[in-house]
Amino acid sequence: MMGIVLFKVALVVYLASAVVYGGSLWGRRVMPARFATGLMFAALVIHTSSFISRWLVDEMTPIIGLYDVLSFFAWVMAAAYLAMQLRTKTRVLGAFVSPVICVIMVIASVELGGGVGASAMLKGSLVTAHVMLSITGEALFAVASCAGIMYLLQDSLIRRKKEGSLIRLFPSLRDLDRINYLCLFWGFPLLTLGILAGSFWARIVWGSHWQWDSKQVWTLLAWGLYAFLLHQRLVIGWQGRKAARWSLMVFTALAVLLIVGKLFFQTVHNFM
Amino acid sequence: MQLVLIGMNHKTAPLEIRERLQLSSGDVERALPELIRMTEIREAICLSTCNRVEVISHVTDGEQAVAVLKSFIYGQGNLDIAEMERCLYVYRDLEAVRHLFRVTSSLDSMVMGEPQILGQMKEAYRMAVDHRTTGVLLNRLSHHAFLVAKRVRTETGIAGNAVSVSYAAVELAKKIFGNLKGKSVLLIGAGEMSELAARHLLRQGVGRIHIANRTYARAEEMAALFQGTPVAFDRFPEVLPEVDIVIASTGAPGYILNKEMVAMALRRKRDRLLFLIDIAVPRDIDPAAGEIENVYLYNIDHLQDVVDANREVRKSEAMKAEEIIAEEVTAFEKWFNTLAVVPTIVALRGKMEGIVRGEMERSARWLGGLDAEERSRIEWLAASIVNKILHDPITGLKEESSEKDELPYVAAVRRLFKL
Repeated sequence: MMGIVLFKVALVVYLASAVVYGGSLWGRRVMPARFATGLMFAALVIHTSSFISRWLVDEMTPIIGLYDVLSFFAWVMAAAYLAMQLRTKTRVLGAFVSPVICVIMVIASVELGGGVGASAMLKGSLVTAHVMLSITGEALFAVASCAGIMYLLQDSLIRRKKEGSLIRLFPSLRDLDRINYLCLFWGFPLLTLGILAGSFWARIVWGSHWQWDSKQVWTLLAWGLYAFLLHQRLVIGWQGRKAARWSLMVFTALAVLLIVGKLFFQTVHNFM
Repeated sequence: MQLVLIGMNHKTAPLEIRERLQLSSGDVERALPELIRMTEIREAICLSTCNRVEVISHVTDGEQAVAVLKSFIYGQGNLDIAEMERCLYVYRDLEAVRHLFRVTSSLDSMVMGEPQILGQMKEAYRMAVDHRTTGVLLNRLSHHAFLVAKRVRTETGIAGNAVSVSYAAVELAKKIFGNLKGKSVLLIGAGEMSELAARHLLRQGVGRIHIANRTYARAEEMAALFQGTPVAFDRFPEVLPEVDIVIASTGAPGYILNKEMVAMALRRKRDRLLFLIDIAVPRDIDPAAGEIENVYLYNIDHLQDVVDANREVRKSEAMKAEEIIAEEVTAFEKWFNTLAVVPTIVALRGKMEGIVRGEMERSARWLGGLDAEERSRIEWLAASIVNKILHDPITGLKEESSEKDELPYVAAVRRLFKL
């Protein structure tokens, strides 16, 4: 129970930080964003303790079921964003990351009561590894997309030569591109491992690595697109606008396909 | 308050007078002891920059002191008195406080919002402290002024935006490349403007500077100045793939850098971001080059627009700064007024403590029978009764002093307690 209380507190603090980040955009000042970054850090600490509490006190395996998965997704986003702050001072990027975190947390809180209970089938470290790795990878892609959106905005601001105060407020193109790249660079292998873990587990349970399930197809498609993007970045030297646009497109496609897939297709992967 | 500020700045005095009056730090160090030796002057700080000379002092007698300070300033410049008289301004008390706050916050500067003045003021204060020419009033005032400057800086955007073309270019470069450390620059045309921009860039830690100029000797000359590399004019496209920022300022009649050249350079560049700055009139760089992905092209008009917009922002931010200053002047006044009641409070406390001490001594005989701990408890009890009794009257005195000019409570307390 303690875990759920902490989760709710974390949600409120995340919301507060999103509001303060918004204030930073509204007032064209970096100062509020600094404060908001502090708030987000506080929220992350509370959020982390909610996981620990669920794990130790409530003795639940965390990260099974929609509530946990979404909550973990938000947690990775916040942690990744804050980790980036250590290297590059891109405070205002939080104005794009924090609303996404809030939305996910709100959806998670709706799922708090119900959701799919952990069935016997979903026990085991392989499943946990599958879920945690895939979610971490996807959350990193989400952060990459936020940096991508901001990159495209800043790029067009500088190009249009207007709105000096916004240009000044937004982080530099180089830093945004770097964040986009780092998230991609770390997210991709994690997602790969997550998919592999899932397919091994599928082999054990269903007797085959591959079921031609809609969700599997979409995920593999997105994986392929990300592999392409990473290849273009590393080998061809894609950078800047093109890379930002692609990471945004692929992520949008992935998100839309997963939602559409969940709503309209039958899937054996019906756990979340 | 007996505060006098006398001085002249770029608005009141022409350069010829300012340059004669400007005091080096050695001069200031000589002047301070001289000032404090005068009987009318109790504390003094002397600020001298290329745009202003100001002496701020805590004096005993206002009119007398103004005359003394004026003759002191005339003595520094060795100039015609009538001419100097016209350039001088004199502020007294709260006006002086306000002026000092405005100066320290860079509202009174030639380029509003420039950051040097605060450092110069801190240095002036440090020198005064070293020569022991500051006391309660000027110490408090200086620290308050630094605080106001900090508030203005953080709460308004007065210092935030570049107001010169070359600095605007540097700011933009930072928004593209983040850190400019290790970036390399190509100057095409070695004129005054590009030299200025190069200086700004070097200060930001730019690594290499290549200089191409039609007259090779001039390129070599400037390369020596910046420890850069001279490049033969017709070979500048070859270094294009190695550089991140290009500043073009030649007198060429047509475009010397076209879209194909930029596109080709970009293909060979590892790091695919390029910032082109065209400050030449007529333009040196084909505007079409700016259409290429990851290439940002700014010409002189674009930069001027940025500067103009920033100037406007600074002006509107200055209004906010004036409000902050008005607020802080009031706060300072409040503090100052409480000074008037400080002697009364000290005397009142002194009297009470004297009574406690006296009564303790009178009771020494029977107190002797107690042990040390019991004695100290009784002392503590007596002291705390005194504190409780004095708390309200002292609060009342302080409140009164910050609200009114006349101080009937002070008179009453002094009479009632025979202070």
